[in-house]
Amino acid sequence: MKSRNVGKTILSHPRDNVVTAKSLIKAGTVLHFPKGTKVKTKEEIPFGHKVALRKIAKGRAVVKYGEHIGKAVRTIAPGELVHTHNVEGERGKGRK
Amino acid sequence: MGVRNHVIILPSVVCSSEVCDAIAKKVKGVISIPHPHGCAQLTQDAEQTARTLIGIGRNPNVAAVLVIGLGCEVVNPFMIGSKIGESGKLVKSLVIQEVGGTPKTVKEGIKIVRHMLTYASRFKRERVSIDSLILGGECGGSDACSGLSANPALGITSDLLIKESGTVILSETTESIGAEHILAKRAINRVVRMKILEIVSRTEMRALSLGVDIARANPTPGNYKGGITTLEEKSLGCVMKGGTSRIMEVLEYAERPTRKGLVLMDTPGQDAESVTGLVAGGVQIIAFTTGRGTPLGSPIAPVIKIATNSYVYAKMRENMDINAGEIITGNKSVQDIGEKIFHEIIRVASGKLTKSEILGHREFAINRIGPSF
Repeated sequence: MKSRNVGKTILSHPRDNVVTAKSLIKAGTVLHFPKGTKVKTKEEIPFGHKVALRKIAKGRAVVKYGEHIGKAVRTIAPGELVHTHNVEGERGKGRK
Repeated sequence: MGVRNHVIILPSVVCSSEVCDAIAKKVKGVISIPHPHGCAQLTQDAEQTARTLIGIGRNPNVAAVLVIGLGCEVVNPFMIGSKIGESGKLVKSLVIQEVGGTPKTVKEGIKIVRHMLTYASRFKRERVSIDSLILGGECGGSDACSGLSANPALGITSDLLIKESGTVILSETTESIGAEHILAKRAINRVVRMKILEIVSRTEMRALSLGVDIARANPTPGNYKGGITTLEEKSLGCVMKGGTSRIMEVLEYAERPTRKGLVLMDTPGQDAESVTGLVAGGVQIIAFTTGRGTPLGSPIAPVIKIATNSYVYAKMRENMDINAGEIITGNKSVQDIGEKIFHEIIRVASGKLTKSEILGHREFAINRIGPSF
């Protein structure tokens, strides 16, 4: 698994559309990625939390570790915090 | 091929545990493996306990075994001894009710293990290929960093080892709940795929029978606070340890692998039971990631303790072997630490002692699948 440790964040897999904060990241911080990609955080990202690398449309998959970890319940803009307020897991809904 | 050369004393039943300990106290260099089971167990539960004890005796890290039983237990000491003996190593059995009480058994046992120590001391380390290594991956006391640092790094290590034709066993089925469909996609064939789904379903059902819906109860409030958003994310963070290889086989608890490569074993998330199951399945070394810090070791296998964060690495320095926290607070990549763990495994396999061995940690627990009667 080609995880990239890029300054303030960890990109777990090249297919991911989120990165995880290695420490608290203030709002308005510009994160630089390979190939000139830049993302500005729209809000504070606490340690261990995820920030969107790209727009994730409502209903589309949040990808981490190269796999779907949940669906966006509303459209997420790049730089937004990605967590329980805008993502829902599918497996964790318990046994039906 | 073992990485250690232990002489062990193995009770077949709780009632002979004290005797095993008493002998080990009197003879330097032997290890007793006490356990509280072996009596009044039925069918598959008794079978699993027996299989675990046999597996421990058969582990390649063990040079010789003295099995001690009471005489009336379900898990028969002569059967255990005989099965272990099929591996060709030196095995003897004593039964307290036949020898005539515990002091006499201790005296007899001391003579036997002293002889075994001489026998074991004649073995020499040989150079072998890394493909004879079976690594067990374990996580315990996980934290928000586990899925970011140590577990992905261990995944790199697993991939490296499997590339060299070694074997990695991933366990702790409970922690796969939520990622089982992802694991199932990587199964080598349909049989393995169905078995992966079956063992996860079995674990969920077992919890439900006790009134607990694991899928609904996870992630926990603590997980959410730490940044984990969904059950899938949590479980993926755990199963990362096994790397990206295809899954070749699914083993029951304490079963030996028949395939090389990445293999799953059905164990609970409980660390002592999981590590015991892995070692009974023939694992020679355990690579164990921890965020909160656990000292757990194994009586016959070196446990390499990998801290997920630099704080716990510094705080529990005497119990920690590798700091994966450098991925979070330093400049190391997951790849760097993965390679570091790989090289440490080779050193440990060649004789380097881990902290858990130096401190004498012998945690041991057999997973029960039925009650005692």
